[in-house]
Amino acid sequence: MYQALIAVFRCRVLSVLMCLVLALAGSVPVLADDEASAWLKRLGPALNMTSYRGVFVYARGERVHSMQIAHRYIDGAVEERLVLQDGGTGEIVRKGMNVVCVLPETGRVQLNQVIPSGPFAEAFTSQLVPVNRWYQAEMKGEDRVAGYDVVSVALSAKDPYRYSHQLWLEKSTGLLVKSHVRNSEGDVLEQFQYTSLYIGEEIPDSEFEIRTQGREISRTLDETASTESVVQRMNGWQLGWRPEGFVPAAAPRSGKGQAVAFSDGLAAFSVFVEPAGPVTMPTGASLIGATTVYMRQVKEGENVFLVTVVGELPPQTARQVAESVRIEDSLALGAGGS
Amino acid sequence: MDDRLRETLSAMMDDEADELSVRRLLSHDRQDELRAQWQRWQDVRDLLHDGHSPAHGMDVSVAVREELDGRDSAALGATLAGRDSKARGWHWPAAAMVAMALLVGFGAGAGWDSSGTGPAQPLAAAAPEAPAPAPDQPVREVALQGLDEEQWEYMSRYLLEHAQHNSVGAGRGAVGYARLVSANGPGY
Repeated sequence: MYQALIAVFRCRVLSVLMCLVLALAGSVPVLADDEASAWLKRLGPALNMTSYRGVFVYARGERVHSMQIAHRYIDGAVEERLVLQDGGTGEIVRKGMNVVCVLPETGRVQLNQVIPSGPFAEAFTSQLVPVNRWYQAEMKGEDRVAGYDVVSVALSAKDPYRYSHQLWLEKSTGLLVKSHVRNSEGDVLEQFQYTSLYIGEEIPDSEFEIRTQGREISRTLDETASTESVVQRMNGWQLGWRPEGFVPAAAPRSGKGQAVAFSDGLAAFSVFVEPAGPVTMPTGASLIGATTVYMRQVKEGENVFLVTVVGELPPQTARQVAESVRIEDSLALGAGGS
Repeated sequence: MDDRLRETLSAMMDDEADELSVRRLLSHDRQDELRAQWQRWQDVRDLLHDGHSPAHGMDVSVAVREELDGRDSAALGATLAGRDSKARGWHWPAAAMVAMALLVGFGAGAGWDSSGTGPAQPLAAAAPEAPAPAPDQPVREVALQGLDEEQWEYMSRYLLEHAQHNSVGAGRGAVGYARLVSANGPGY
């Protein structure tokens, strides 16, 4: 009863807000939209091609982590070093296609394809352009983050299938220095922010050296991994529905998984379809900050498959995606085999 | 008291609150404030129903907590077990270790406490009236604490793979890394 009252009240507030937003939207010049788009276009390239170092914090739910980062773009390749600042010690160093990772409690381990490499990311950033179709882009004015002047761009989801984002970009380079992911109620689910930052070319080589002792396992990322078509990776199953705007994304292939990643330019989700393992997973959504994991088992004849949707999606969307998966060819999915 | 807690309280009055919300409510440090609010609403309800208030002055939080704990002590056990998993992971054979190291690194998810799932809480209350894109029933929530160690590792693998897709797909290196590391963090 009280809940209903609150709900009614919230609906009222919401509708009043909606009216306001609509009224404002009508009066805002088209220029604002263009300006937001122009900033968004800079986002991707800036992340790779700017040289910077600093410390950022990353929070989801009530958990906060901070990391030190050094990043430079040299001779067409990205060099990057990330060092955990709290909890266990760990670092990730990437030079072009070579990635070495030292994570807490795991010793020094090669992360293989876990870490993105420049070419993929750059190829993908062109997809940031149509973001305006699925998000209402709006300039939110200027601010200051980690000592730098920034502009803020709000990207409000136009439908209930995705979360809303707010990005803060450094004014001269377009570097992303802060971001928020919000649900439809306006709660911040996940945030990322630099607390100290230096942008500039003069970052010495020593900043990119692995400093943690241990056995080194290194491997070169396989560039061809991403060229495998989505059709091949979806061998044996079909996705009946996905929110408009999510397109197959370049993704490094992973293990035996029949995994496909989709992105609308801001958010991404991955769909995994595999023969159910020895572990029985409960059906439903688990939430970690802005990340939803929705799992369900599908029975196809004799075989049971586990469908998993992981992504920065509202739980309802993740469920819809998971429920739309149709198994077409059990054998192709490795049922009964291996 | 924030809106979410108020909403949980309200949901409790309607007997619709989910377990995680109730747990959060019980762990709120202003119990007196909560109790006062609860009492006020009970009083209002009783007035509306022209009755007296049997709950007046009663503290039900202990009983509720016991009820919750009794019901899923197994789940709590799993959480505790999860905390040891990092150490145990090292007994695995070296060959398997390389493949599984990342999962172990995930700490089998032991680091996520209920607060990590916090923002999802309004879901149970909000879902029915939300402009549900499809089936109207609320999405069943699987509490992370309810998973046993094996289930954790299983889920962690997907989280990890997604982190890699995401950092590539969304073209935002650092955030992608941070997701990975955030998931990796032990429960300190």
